[in-house]
Amino acid sequence: MRLGGPPRGPCSGPSPAGPWRSPGRVQGCEKPQSRPGSTRPASPGPAAPSGVRGSPQPGRPASARRARPRTLPPFGTRLWSRRRPPSPEALGSTPRRPASPRSSLRPPPLVARGAGRAGGAARGRTEARGEVLPGQRAGKMAAPMELFCWSGGWGLPSVDLDSLTVLTYARFTGAPLKVHKVTNPWQSPSGTLPALRTSHGEVISVPHKIITHLRKEKYNADYDLSARQGADTLAFMSLLEEKLLPVLIHTFWVDTKNYVEVTRKWYAEAMPFPLNFFLPGRMQRQFMERLQLLCGEHRPENEEELEKELYQEARECLTLLSQRLGSQKFFFGDAPASLDAFVFGYLALLLQARLPSGKLQAHLRGLQNLCAYCTHVLSLYFPWDGAEGPPPRQTPAGPETEEEPYRRRNQVLSVLAGLAAMVGYALLSGIVSIQRTTPARAPGTRSLSMAEEDEEE
Amino acid sequence: MSKVPFIHVGNQVVSELGPIVQFVKAKGHSLSDGLDEVQKAEMKAYMELVNNMLLTAELYLQWCDETTVGEITHARYGSPYPWPLNHILAYQKQWEVKRKMKAIGWGNKTLDQVLEDVDQCCQALSQRLGTQPYFFNKQPTELDALVFGHLYTILTTQLTNDELSEKVKNYSNLLAFCRRIEQHYFEDRGKGSSSIRSS
Repeated sequence: MRLGGPPRGPCSGPSPAGPWRSPGRVQGCEKPQSRPGSTRPASPGPAAPSGVRGSPQPGRPASARRARPRTLPPFGTRLWSRRRPPSPEALGSTPRRPASPRSSLRPPPLVARGAGRAGGAARGRTEARGEVLPGQRAGKMAAPMELFCWSGGWGLPSVDLDSLTVLTYARFTGAPLKVHKVTNPWQSPSGTLPALRTSHGEVISVPHKIITHLRKEKYNADYDLSARQGADTLAFMSLLEEKLLPVLIHTFWVDTKNYVEVTRKWYAEAMPFPLNFFLPGRMQRQFMERLQLLCGEHRPENEEELEKELYQEARECLTLLSQRLGSQKFFFGDAPASLDAFVFGYLALLLQARLPSGKLQAHLRGLQNLCAYCTHVLSLYFPWDGAEGPPPRQTPAGPETEEEPYRRRNQVLSVLAGLAAMVGYALLSGIVSIQRTTPARAPGTRSLSMAEEDEEE
Repeated sequence: MSKVPFIHVGNQVVSELGPIVQFVKAKGHSLSDGLDEVQKAEMKAYMELVNNMLLTAELYLQWCDETTVGEITHARYGSPYPWPLNHILAYQKQWEVKRKMKAIGWGNKTLDQVLEDVDQCCQALSQRLGTQPYFFNKQPTELDALVFGHLYTILTTQLTNDELSEKVKNYSNLLAFCRRIEQHYFEDRGKGSSSIRSS
């Protein structure tokens, strides 16, 4: 039973009832996954959406909602305040039934977030009744936002940490992004991946800024966090960046065995000719330099010591994360936040890639709750990508599905050009001549042979 | 050579906060024993936050803000050395710091953005502290020491512009926190210039 959709208020801002950003969240155009909102068994309260919906909204001042940072009323109030007038909901609940297979993908959590819920409900309703509400939002946007990111592999939707993080965040919030999975960074508007082209044509390529932009566009997974949780988010993200990032870079790009057998192999197979010859090497150099600068201060005597220290700290960091997560579904309760997107990015890469020398991987596998967390997020938000496991590795063409039509076209064109060149040469040099036997048949032919004769003369 | 701060115990020299804490812990004194696992995780995370944001912001201000560099940092950094070494070393350090900023993504930040980040960090710390006397209630921990060190330095060092300390002053509970620790633990020393700043 779904909690029903968050209220689709008009886009014009905070509806009196409060729930916020539903206008923002409304997105009509997302992929199926986005938020069918469905199964919320975990959601407290409304077993029957209509019943719930009927309740009047508490007087949550709009200003409180607006304040992005996080002083939120207690959970219960939040829940109620999401309720919109009964009618749309009551109508909405039925058409949403067909969405249930999709909705089963929805994680129970979103109770507090409602991002997806909003999206899903909106979508369901739109599909069901051609409601204009999601469209209002769509109409406001000049163009959909486009995200360019590295394509998937190793069972993940993307092989690059930043791209994965941004993708996951987008999935959590149900932002309507047109995702271009590419294997050629030169195809992205900014030359690096990931890159977001906003609806106004602006290009953002720093992952944090991309997420900030999505938040500004009202796709905010942290809306419901309390102030303290917001502070915790900042703290844990710093922890990740300081402790896990260097090791991740080291594992994938510096460790020779891993680099040669996994990373370089994937990139070389995925990238188009002739980039695959020099780009992976260049990326490696860039990452190594970054690593040097990141841990520049701790320059112990030799490489091995540095490595040991790094891995030691990373193991500690993972253990800390595991302790913080405990047995919850997500770091802040039942709904995913931006911290979950970041953590998932790191953990998924560490877990899923089949690394020949995976010391950290072994440690991570020992932390059961983190593994469960990863698989949970993967199965809920990226179900089809997860199934892609082995194929992308063996069929390099897999990730290039986006480029498929162009490749085909290029191939056909090149063959045609070759043929035309051969035929033209043959005709012009007299190897092949066209007899003018049937003048009535093709004036083109005649003119061709005349041209040929002219040339010969 | 080893870095400041360091402690000299017997014939051992231990430098920098992390190792010093470990060393003292090994001797049997630890401030964070009373914390449970989740709290320890949070404490480490907040320490990283401070390192990540406050430390980097301080570095930025010292080395990437032209006015400060010209008027204060160059002179201060190069003061122990004779000419021309003082200039050379100062420029070299500046170049190093700028490279590092670029690597962590702070290369293109303007001063305003950096100040905003500091503000965010202070807000997070302020939220976490709330109305408690110390970050983990009644007893101070390593986090309190770290935060005090940074904030005190920011508040008491004279720079060309006071925006950084203004940002910190916006949060009254952080100010009260600093004053409390200063009075409680340093009252017999007076307000010296003993700042634990790692340059």
